[in-house]
Amino acid sequence: MAKTLTFGVSGVNGYPVHVEVFGINGIPGLEIIGLPDASVRESRDRVNAAIINSGKQMPARRITINLAPADMKKEGPSFDLPIAVGVLIANREIITDPAIETEKIAMFGELSLDGRVQPIAGALPMVISAKENGIRDVILPDKNAREAACIEGMNILPVSHLSQVIAFLEGSGTIEKQKQISFDSLKNEIFASPDMAQIKGQGGAKRALEVAAAGGHNMIMIGVPGSGKTMLARCLPGILPPLSFEEALETTRIHSISGKLPPNSGLMVLRPFCAPHHNASVASLIGGGQDAKPGEVSLAHNGVLFLDEIPEFTRNALEALRQPLEDGIVNVARVKKQAQYQSSFMLVAAMNPCPCGFYGSSRKVCRCTPQEIRRYLDRISGPLLDRIDLQIEVDAVPVQEINSSAPAEPSTAVAKRVSMARMIQQERYRGTGKHCNAQLNNEEVKQYCMPDAEGIRLLNVAMETMNLSMRGYQRILKVARTIADLDHTDLIGSAHIAEAIQYRELDQKYWR
Amino acid sequence: MATEPSAFVYHAWLASAALPPGTVNGLLKKYGTPENVWNAVISGPSIIDGIHAAGLKTLKQNMTDEWLETVERLLFQHQIGAFTITDQDYPSMLLQMEEPPAILFYQGNLQCMRQKNLAMVGSRAASYDGQKAAGKIARNLSRKGIGIISGMAGGIDTASHTGCIEGGSRTIAVTGCGLDIVYPSANLRLRDRILENRGLLLSEYAPGEKPVGWHFPFRNRIITGLSQALIVIEAKIRSGTMTSVQHALNQGKDVFVYPGDPTSPYFEGNHRLLREGAVYFTTAEDILEDLGWLDNPGIIGQNSGCSGRTQTFTPEEEAVFSALKPGRLGFEQIADRSELSPAALMSTLTILQIKGMIEALPGKQYQLKDSDSQHYSDPEE
Repeated sequence: MAKTLTFGVSGVNGYPVHVEVFGINGIPGLEIIGLPDASVRESRDRVNAAIINSGKQMPARRITINLAPADMKKEGPSFDLPIAVGVLIANREIITDPAIETEKIAMFGELSLDGRVQPIAGALPMVISAKENGIRDVILPDKNAREAACIEGMNILPVSHLSQVIAFLEGSGTIEKQKQISFDSLKNEIFASPDMAQIKGQGGAKRALEVAAAGGHNMIMIGVPGSGKTMLARCLPGILPPLSFEEALETTRIHSISGKLPPNSGLMVLRPFCAPHHNASVASLIGGGQDAKPGEVSLAHNGVLFLDEIPEFTRNALEALRQPLEDGIVNVARVKKQAQYQSSFMLVAAMNPCPCGFYGSSRKVCRCTPQEIRRYLDRISGPLLDRIDLQIEVDAVPVQEINSSAPAEPSTAVAKRVSMARMIQQERYRGTGKHCNAQLNNEEVKQYCMPDAEGIRLLNVAMETMNLSMRGYQRILKVARTIADLDHTDLIGSAHIAEAIQYRELDQKYWR
Repeated sequence: MATEPSAFVYHAWLASAALPPGTVNGLLKKYGTPENVWNAVISGPSIIDGIHAAGLKTLKQNMTDEWLETVERLLFQHQIGAFTITDQDYPSMLLQMEEPPAILFYQGNLQCMRQKNLAMVGSRAASYDGQKAAGKIARNLSRKGIGIISGMAGGIDTASHTGCIEGGSRTIAVTGCGLDIVYPSANLRLRDRILENRGLLLSEYAPGEKPVGWHFPFRNRIITGLSQALIVIEAKIRSGTMTSVQHALNQGKDVFVYPGDPTSPYFEGNHRLLREGAVYFTTAEDILEDLGWLDNPGIIGQNSGCSGRTQTFTPEEEAVFSALKPGRLGFEQIADRSELSPAALMSTLTILQIKGMIEALPGKQYQLKDSDSQHYSDPEE
């Protein structure tokens, strides 16, 4: 009888799993119990081969393996390593070094037939759970080491082969400890790509991006094909303030359990940018599937969800976005499993002005009838538009026509201004549970976003002369607040209001 | 002409078979009124030679009380009247053309046909420029008491009718379906406005007749037939507008062509026509002059642009304003020329928009508002 410790993942959280191995004389075989799924059950064949390829013998006994707690469903190949070690210890193939408390070492990893240890999904939540359960030593696949290296006070032991683990436990070998990687040092390694400096012209759209980033506002871009909407959106993660450690943990966890984290990657430092294709199903956006996996809205948590060609998404998919946009959380309920995932993201949508794409273009004839254009625009429902603060048109003027040779500003310069504006907002909303202007409700808009007398006068005149809707009114005030924050002033003036009105131009021209 | 809608059911019946206008003309000349034709068809088949078999079949099929009741209801409900080529009031202008319509249904004010009328045509999917030009020229012609005839389709047609109404004259729409149907349905409001402003709707199709593709180029001959000259605002090389031009030339009418932007594909047909010798014009006054209608020049000539304004500008506004003086520009180009930061330019554009100095166009472009439309959007100034 032997016991090893490992961790499973449920939702975004890890939980301890004790692997109990019991060998008895009888017909040789290996039975895994404790609600294993197919990939866990297949573990027995991998373990068998890996043990032999590590120079040990597979005992000719009847072996029963219990994964406790026995009432949780166990998924994935991460149990291979603890099972193999358990089998070896239970059958005295390994005589453990008395200085090592095997049951106090968490271990996980997938084994390949030749005994190598492969990376797994969900390493980060497992390590976090280990820390919460008072475990210090963790043996894990070397390709997951960087992911776990940000957790303080842990003894991370990365391995690449089962024989390394065996030698370590026998006391005949050591495993080189993974150095802790400070979160700040990770930040310096990564550069945003693409950089805003790579985009020529587009001053107006870049400014709108800056405002959106500074206030956390959702935005929609409308423009002819090839006007650079996608490129602009991709710049957004680079100008948003860097992830805080907590945010990075939240986001990396979600990516970790979805297996979306590339091997050898550490904690995510850059905000995620998710751009699902427009044929995405509701389940892939929101989360779902048999085991209630997180969807794109959760993968974009603390980052940007970019929906290109938004009218081409199905109505159901778009409507399902409303809850996560409002609450920052999605509840994914499936027959076998329920999970709650965080999903606080910035929505950036892009679309053509009409089905053929060339309405308003001076270079190409638009072939759409007014009815077709109307129908196309109407695919985006009012309630969804209500959640989008900034609407801009992306200018299609070719670069050659811009004479100015002034170099474009790099993302880092913009990011600095954005960070300042965010800090001002955090200061202002301290204790209210809000972080940025975009989160304000109507009451709070009245409290925080009132412009000076001149600004109010201007807004009222604009409402009358420029075809603005009442729903636009609140949004203009919020965006004006952000613009004033970028200016480091507390008072919202008429210039701020006037600029904010420009970001409602689609209300005037398209959604009349 | 009778005024009771029920008097026109035989008109509708005769029009329902889609016979060639020439055939119907012959029948009407022989029998006088549609009712007489009806009686003739009842009394014997020998008198109806010249009608093709399918047409005769439809006519006979429709000779039921039920059919007549349905049509009568439509005529009554939509206040549709009708007249034929044998009627005294039939406009003599139409008689001079090939295949004059034998029966015309109408809604509204028949007096419109007696005023000076000009046809104005162009694309349904029209450019912003074209629609603006159409509206402006129609408005200015209308102010001189000249009516505009068009086809009540979208785009240039709509802009032309609207411009005419705004200028105070009465406008005529010749449609390609029964007058009980508004096509495109988006123009329901326009139809009502035309009638409210004592305009006229004409159609050679019986009530209940659906808008069918070939109706439209065919009805174009009536548009040009009723007018003294044709004004082409926007035409692609192959378009319905070109058939209108053909009709106008066959009928010996002048064709005025608005130049438009030569680099824009929307105006390709215009420049083809101009090369082929169409009359070039840019303003309503040009047309009036060429037609010899320029009898009261005192009211014309106020189109002096925005230069006479007395508003004060901030330096930023001045910069944007002068950047836009040569013509329409995109946001980036304005930013480039005015040397303003995007943020400052955004707010300056809003202020100028509110002041009514500039207007925003689709495609993030801006242009100065001209004094003409200015007059209509800010009556208080």
